[in-house]
Amino acid sequence: MRQVRLTAAAAAALLVLTAGACSSGGAGGDGGATTIKIAYQKFGNFTQADELFRDVKAEYEDANPDVTIELVPIEASQNDYFTKLALMNRSPSTAPDLMYEDTFMIKSDVEAGYLLPLDEHLAGWDEWDQFVEGAKAAGLGDDGKTYGVPMGTDTRGLWFNTEVLAKAGLPADWAPTSWDDVLEAARAIKAADPEVIPLNVYSGKPMGEASTMQGFEMLLYGTDDRLYDEDSGKWVVGSQGFRDALGFIETIYSEGLAPTPQQALDPNLGSVVSGEWLPQGRLGIALDGSWMPGSWLEGGEAPWPEWSEVMGTAAMPTQDGGEPGAVSMSGGWTLAIGAGTQDPDVAFDVLTHALDKENALRFAVENSQIAVREDVAAEPEYLEANPTTKFFSDLVEVTHFRPATSDYAQVSNAIQVAMEAVMTGQQSVEEAAAAYDAAVVDIVGEQNTVEG
Amino acid sequence: MARDATLAPAAPAPAAPALAAPGGRRLRATTTAVLALIGVCFLLPLGWILLASFDARGTLVVRLPQEWSLQNFAEVLTPELAWRPLWNSFLLSAGTGLLTVVAAVLAAYPLSRYQSRLNKPFLYTVLFGTCLPITAMMVPVYSLFVRLGQLDSLAGTIAFMAATSLPMAIWMTKNFMDSVPVSLEEAAWTDGATAMTALRRVVLPLMRPGVAVVFIFVFVQAWGNFFVPFVLLLSPEKQPAAVSIFAFFGSYGTVAYGQLAAYSLAYSVPALALYVLVSRLTGSSFALAGAVKG
Amino acid sequence: MATTLAPAPAGARGSAPEPGHRPRARRTAVRYLPLVPAVVLLGVFMLGPVVWSFYGSFTNAALTGRNALAPSFVGLQNYQELLADPEFPKSLWLTVLFVLASAVVGQNVLGLTLAMLLRSGAPAVRTVVSTLVVVAWVLPEIVASFALYAFFHDAGTLNALLGAVGIEGPTWLYETPMLAVILANVWRGTAFSMLVYSAAVAEVPPELTEAARMDGATARQRLVWVILPTIRRSVSTNLMLTTLQTLSVFTLIYVMTGGGPGTDSSTLPILAYQEAFKFAQVGYGTAIATVMLLIGAVFSVVYIRSLRPEVD
Repeated sequence: MRQVRLTAAAAAALLVLTAGACSSGGAGGDGGATTIKIAYQKFGNFTQADELFRDVKAEYEDANPDVTIELVPIEASQNDYFTKLALMNRSPSTAPDLMYEDTFMIKSDVEAGYLLPLDEHLAGWDEWDQFVEGAKAAGLGDDGKTYGVPMGTDTRGLWFNTEVLAKAGLPADWAPTSWDDVLEAARAIKAADPEVIPLNVYSGKPMGEASTMQGFEMLLYGTDDRLYDEDSGKWVVGSQGFRDALGFIETIYSEGLAPTPQQALDPNLGSVVSGEWLPQGRLGIALDGSWMPGSWLEGGEAPWPEWSEVMGTAAMPTQDGGEPGAVSMSGGWTLAIGAGTQDPDVAFDVLTHALDKENALRFAVENSQIAVREDVAAEPEYLEANPTTKFFSDLVEVTHFRPATSDYAQVSNAIQVAMEAVMTGQQSVEEAAAAYDAAVVDIVGEQNTVEG
Repeated sequence: MARDATLAPAAPAPAAPALAAPGGRRLRATTTAVLALIGVCFLLPLGWILLASFDARGTLVVRLPQEWSLQNFAEVLTPELAWRPLWNSFLLSAGTGLLTVVAAVLAAYPLSRYQSRLNKPFLYTVLFGTCLPITAMMVPVYSLFVRLGQLDSLAGTIAFMAATSLPMAIWMTKNFMDSVPVSLEEAAWTDGATAMTALRRVVLPLMRPGVAVVFIFVFVQAWGNFFVPFVLLLSPEKQPAAVSIFAFFGSYGTVAYGQLAAYSLAYSVPALALYVLVSRLTGSSFALAGAVKG
Repeated sequence: MATTLAPAPAGARGSAPEPGHRPRARRTAVRYLPLVPAVVLLGVFMLGPVVWSFYGSFTNAALTGRNALAPSFVGLQNYQELLADPEFPKSLWLTVLFVLASAVVGQNVLGLTLAMLLRSGAPAVRTVVSTLVVVAWVLPEIVASFALYAFFHDAGTLNALLGAVGIEGPTWLYETPMLAVILANVWRGTAFSMLVYSAAVAEVPPELTEAARMDGATARQRLVWVILPTIRRSVSTNLMLTTLQTLSVFTLIYVMTGGGPGTDSSTLPILAYQEAFKFAQVGYGTAIATVMLLIGAVFSVVYIRSLRPEVD
């Protein structure tokens, strides 16, 4: 650690000397010799990253007067965030030094040359041992080097409003064991009160990766099929599971068990679900993420003190209750360093500060993340932060990860297109699945696909 | 693009002379009724912005507020949310307007004053440029800006917006300049003044209202532009109001309708005010409207 | 106004000044020096994107993945994919529909109607209505888009009005997205046609219409047989300009429907944006932009030819 600081100081000093000679590429700070630009998402109910980085900026600049931290909060829905971040990364003049990067984008962005390998820096960081292995793996590029330091991980499951379910005659410890159970519950809710939206499963392009992961993959990975065959390294096309998962989407939208397509295609749906529908009892069941309480906690964007009494959780069942009975998906976000950063050492130093134990604990608690540092996971504050922590942490046992390939981001888009075509009734399940297969062949090449 | 070229006053439509005829009264009543109906269709969406912005509990429906309030304005007119983006809009629009006017006046002078084989091809090319759907081509523009290292640069964005409004501005300026009699400059030339001096001392003062019209028209166009800064300006502190209001719409638009309307109103007022100004200018000094021949 | 497109009579252009005795070519060069800033700006920022558009459409440039690092030349591949992609003909058709319905028919017919009605309505109503129409057009496009989004939203004004008379309106933005954006564009852009036609109609010599009226022609006959032929040049200019403006409409559709649901309102500008930026296929999106550019160029040439007698 001390060594890194020293190097950083030396680098900063060097920059002071050269700053006069060549004008620095970054936006000139207020007398700061080094400017570190941090890009992250700030949208709707998700303000935790913004709060964290604001404090990191203040603390770090206090301790290092020669460093200026420039915050670039990108106000965009998740899909638009990836677009904006890529647009920034594409040009050296705008590429950030540090960025809040979704794990599924890492491999693709590594291939694009946007990210800096961190292995050398990590070797000198004594806290790196605290990070759990599974989370570390999410930051790897195809070349086996680490490009992102995890900020937290998550799992997904069913959230339900017990008051809404009670009206439909469903118990507070509702625990579906198959897709049919879920559908039956949704139908019962609709029958009990047609005004209530029975079930929300994110679908379609506006919700972006949330549709693919919280929606589609939570279904697909509960069938016998997968998106990608890890052993052969090929993408699965034409599988029954894929059609069944699309069929589930078609069922809930055509039967009116889901939000209206217009509601579902609102890119702001995530905030609406957590901030309005669930607290107001307008939605019965939500297939959603472990981070939900983040906006309900005191200090969140939609505080809801009663949430822990009203909301229940259940694992998402597999299609027919087959082994292991439940399914979950895990993703997570990392901090990554831009390949073009003028000052890798300072950038890494800021990174270690932003993800030190104190800040990691804070982010895990405020954003209801599953901790990726062992020392944080052991903290009583983390464990007591919210009563669902244990439930979602335990889902790690049945969780799946998205295919770790650089093509994933594009395949994910094809999934969203297929979902939207089905939910809006533009295409039948068969047609949408066929269009998806064609799109995948286009993206990865015929030789990299396998019939499911 | 060409849309904005028409930022000239609505020609006060002269009343048809034949109203005294029998049946004219009934015709007039029908006409008025149809006009009123069309007017209502145009009014409803506009009315929403106006009324919802003063409504403490604004919804998507146009209605008289049950509770009039300035709360929405107080909530959105904060430095970070509105003032800085509005200031950026001003910088962007004023920069674009200035650059365009300077380039257009300079270019219009030789085109207006000298006969040359160059004039016609140049004017045709400019006219052609007026029509190209450049704003629909923001994808290659983005790539070009990456290559030029001008992404997220206010100066680069201003230069691009100036270039896209330049063809129309050159046409307008040249027409204004054509209407300044060349005889006035002849005195200056005999005194040995250069062309540029004549332009500055004689021509420009005479076409000041024309230049103002061109400037305002480019300014308003830049003020309202969303797509160009949306693609070319990335950091939040550089973004103009058009982009920041869109982010607001995405983040809170589906909940805070009143605030959205209030922000929209505050952002629109300068454009509307400048339009009124330009109508006055053209109305009194230049009978632009009468020149529509097509 | 649109008028400024047609150059004024060349009367002012006259005897060229003779500031010196330099050789002719050099004198011409010096005289045209003031064109340089404009030429540079146009060259870099108008011609630049056009050239780049053609070039970029032959590459597989991307926003992420290996093609972002090292885009390569792929020849006509993007265009071949474009032709094979069912989204492209659909988007092309939606664009044509959008332009025809909202500009060629909607804005022009309503604009002409307004221009005619404004000649004879009650003065107060005339002023108010023409002001409203113009305000809709002067508003920043993003604000106009919000206003129309609110109007057509299923919890918006239109359905509230329909509800008041007992009709349950559809979810316009979702069930009939094209209808919604077409009506929106008529709302937004009619002022332009109204202004052009008002000015043109005002120039029709009153004797002509009067004579026709004396001959017993009805109002409609006067419009069709007297007024329209007289203002036909304004009509053709206006058709062309509104077409070109409508071709590049992005914000209105992007805000109201985002091109959806699915791709049901994705006109070419929206499709290009989505392919290039949302799906990170910059090369492919550039090919779509190039197609739009070519369509625009064809219209421009036709338009300029129609103006030609006046420029010459």
